[in-house]
Amino acid sequence: MKGVWVWILAGVSLVSVAVGEDDSRGSLVRVRASIQAYDQFRPWQKKSPYGLNGTGVVLPGGKVLATAALVANRTEVGLEKPGSAEKCAAEVEAIDYEANLALLQPTDRNFLKGFSGVLLGPALRAGDKTEVWQLERNGEMLRNQAEILSAGVGRYPSDEAGFLVYGVRVSLPKRDDSYTLPLMKDGQLAGMMMGYDRDSQEGTAIPVPMIEHFLKDAADGKYEGFPTLGVSWSPLRDPNLREEVLAPKSGGGLLLTRVNPRGTAGRAGLREGDVLLSVDGYKLDEDGNYRDPLYGPTAVGNLIRTKPTIGSPARFRISRNGKEMELTGTYDRKARDEVAIPTLQFDTAPRYLVAGGLVFQELTGTYLQEWGDKWSERAPQRLVELFTFQHEKRPDPSRKVVFLSQVLPSPITLGYLQLSGLVLEKVNGRTIANLNELAQVVDETKSGDLVFEFRDEPGKLVLQAQDLPSVSEKIRNDYGLPALRRL
Amino acid sequence: MLKGVFRVGGLLLIPLLGSCGTRDWQLSEARKNVVMIEVTAQTWDYRLPWNPGTVSSARGAGFVIDGNRILTNAHVVSGARYLTVQREADPRKYPAKVLHVAHDCDLALVQVEDTDFLKGTSVLPIGEIPELESVVSVYGFPIGGDRLSVTRGVVSRIDYNSYTHSGRESHLAIQIDAAINPGNSGGPVMQADKVVGVAFQGFRGDVAQNVGYMIPTPVIRRFLKDVEDGHYDHYVDLAIRWMPLENPAMRHYYQRPNDGQGVVVTDIFSEGSADGVLQKGDVLLSIDGHPIESDGSVRLDGQPVQLEEIVERKFAGDTVELGVWRNQALEKRKITLRPAEMFSMYENLYEEPPRYVLYGGLVFQPLTANLMAVLAGSADLRLRQTYTLFGQDQIYRETPEPVILASVLPDRSNVYLVGLAGQVVREINGRRIRTLADVLPALESGGERTVIRFEGDQRPAVLKKGEVDQVMPRIMTQYGITQAHRTELGGRRLAKGSWKKEEESK
Repeated sequence: MKGVWVWILAGVSLVSVAVGEDDSRGSLVRVRASIQAYDQFRPWQKKSPYGLNGTGVVLPGGKVLATAALVANRTEVGLEKPGSAEKCAAEVEAIDYEANLALLQPTDRNFLKGFSGVLLGPALRAGDKTEVWQLERNGEMLRNQAEILSAGVGRYPSDEAGFLVYGVRVSLPKRDDSYTLPLMKDGQLAGMMMGYDRDSQEGTAIPVPMIEHFLKDAADGKYEGFPTLGVSWSPLRDPNLREEVLAPKSGGGLLLTRVNPRGTAGRAGLREGDVLLSVDGYKLDEDGNYRDPLYGPTAVGNLIRTKPTIGSPARFRISRNGKEMELTGTYDRKARDEVAIPTLQFDTAPRYLVAGGLVFQELTGTYLQEWGDKWSERAPQRLVELFTFQHEKRPDPSRKVVFLSQVLPSPITLGYLQLSGLVLEKVNGRTIANLNELAQVVDETKSGDLVFEFRDEPGKLVLQAQDLPSVSEKIRNDYGLPALRRL
Repeated sequence: MLKGVFRVGGLLLIPLLGSCGTRDWQLSEARKNVVMIEVTAQTWDYRLPWNPGTVSSARGAGFVIDGNRILTNAHVVSGARYLTVQREADPRKYPAKVLHVAHDCDLALVQVEDTDFLKGTSVLPIGEIPELESVVSVYGFPIGGDRLSVTRGVVSRIDYNSYTHSGRESHLAIQIDAAINPGNSGGPVMQADKVVGVAFQGFRGDVAQNVGYMIPTPVIRRFLKDVEDGHYDHYVDLAIRWMPLENPAMRHYYQRPNDGQGVVVTDIFSEGSADGVLQKGDVLLSIDGHPIESDGSVRLDGQPVQLEEIVERKFAGDTVELGVWRNQALEKRKITLRPAEMFSMYENLYEEPPRYVLYGGLVFQPLTANLMAVLAGSADLRLRQTYTLFGQDQIYRETPEPVILASVLPDRSNVYLVGLAGQVVREINGRRIRTLADVLPALESGGERTVIRFEGDQRPAVLKKGEVDQVMPRIMTQYGITQAHRTELGGRRLAKGSWKKEEESK
């Protein structure tokens, strides 16, 4: 769940070929994004804005494909024609932060008139020769020779489970608009570069099967995302372990070590301890690979995420206590979306409530990331625990984690100042499952005590309800808060 | 060099304050009784718990007190296998033995058997807490030379501070600005002709200048009294958490007037001294008759100190009387004090050999501060959280001593298990593992296969009993292990826990 990935490009061109007029004209457009993320520690405000420049791929029909990382937390996105300064604003029509893809639509539908657009090319394999295209300042195309090093399931910047990814060797010169670059094969789109390491001259690219799935999903105007199984699994190579779980003697299959009851697998009836033998007719080996017709042995994650779409039927063959059986279900992504603590929170304003100086927020992965690279060591350990082990500690997705994030000193918070990172359980005896419920109790209590009960030390904090209106107003003025809550 | 004896890292040559003083009677009296202690110590290696460990030498200081005893720091003599003492006036090195070690307050007593050693020594009397700003002299054998060194400074601060040797304790400590460097450890800090402290720790590197700490005499006296019965007990603890009662709305809620007095109890640790006596939400108004201010301080000899200081000076079995405001009534509650043994996991262990169970290349070890120190870099989040939340969440009630699969010694019989190192063991052959003592009986139970399950959604480790018996001699030979397990706990005690033991025996 790493955040936005940043290009670091410098150095000299080694195997780049500048070409004149050819099929590359009318295929690329510059994408200028203005980015401003919310400040998770001061949820009422945003951080400093900055610009990102990338290269988008014009698709037939006049829409533009870019990476999601390029336009995450955007305030404005613009397109610019190469070779001229002609500009046009663009809307984000579909975006998938897990798959790191975004589809942009120019506000002026005629802006890209005359652009022929790029067709999607074939999927590539390791060893294939390919090109990474860059735009020169004058609009000329720079075509860098590249080679696919690997094709397999790997980590994306904002994904936990892993998608298909190409490893690419290419020597990229430093150019503007390189935050996103297209990977091309014979004039067709083969992938979108999403990461590059200048020292090793190796990068990663989102392959065409992912892009196809994304565009197909977005075509109806209602974007649904990639399916997930909602399981944790372990390889099943150890013969002792196979014997223990009564796995088939013929080999194959992986061991499910956790099954989310709300996920695709859980609702189809799969359980922890089952041996998953095949998915949709594809046999799984002991390491959790299926045999992909193109890529050979590939992690099952790619099968789940790129072949079916949301709502399509799922078919599982399992072995339970030595007995083989078929189970069927429907693909969805509830195990990912319906959670108490969401991981991905781009473009979304953090929710908060200021009550007499006590600042409450709802826990998200984005908040924890604000603590930096070592967030799991630096952030309050209770919050880290709830987030990391939420399937055990907070399995009910409707029960959000409301926590006291900080205390703004005020006349009524004397003695509370050092407190932060405390998970709220109850207010005046009522269990609090989200920030709105907290706001309701606070608003309804006009006089008497407001007793906040926390999971940890110091347990209870008390405010006098009648003090709240005037003190909250004073805090709003003194600290210049635009609002005392965002629910 | 002086390994760990003084917690100053960089070789900082700070200009010494003042001169070495005149040769007055007081100085020579101190000089007669200060000794250099040279220690050869052995430290266990928690990565290889069966090994006797590394041998290293260190140098510290000490001084002669009554009863033919030498007082020094616990960290000077920890793990000592051989130690000698030497006085300035006598070139001979006398072999000595450790009488008592108190790791929690970093003090130790050493004795020389040869009575020749005592010739020309006297007894350094122990004084009181020195005044702020008053001048003290520090004696010891710090880096920069081999002879006795004296530095001088003033008392800068008197406050609670952590005692880094144990890793978990905080006691009263006095900060002084006399130069203290590695080798000063255990040396006396003198004022007039009395000992007012024992130099023991400072800051590593260059984070601070002229900041050194000494153990004050209340802590020294407590230690000497504790060992009078020939045995050192641990410090005792109320084992509660409290919060200052400063907020007016909070005071109103607990129905206390705004008189600036009282703190509210926010947590009581199971098996601690106050377990069953205090409740969450009790307001503590007094301790042994001393009124408790709303910030948790009490006045002792006119000085404000934390209320714990009252408990600090007591011993196991002593009582303390608390004035408790509960249900709008003031009650007197008597608490019999005992050490907080359930937290002993957080103490750095020195004398106790590492405990472990080896089973077919799998090395099980109890979670201790020492094990955590070697695993820290590679520990996954679950292991780290088990360690950090063990006390706070009272995990000890269910699991007094979490057992870790600390490492897997690679062997052709366990190639698929290597990736499981670092996992927290939940059960073996269906038996819940609550302490290391549960591991061997659980391994012997069950059928032809041994199944080890871990916390979280990790796959189990499965081994064949017959195969393990076969490969054990090979693994032990390959890895140079002479003993397959060491499980006896020694002097330390663990939490009793509060799970239903009857269910277990079924």
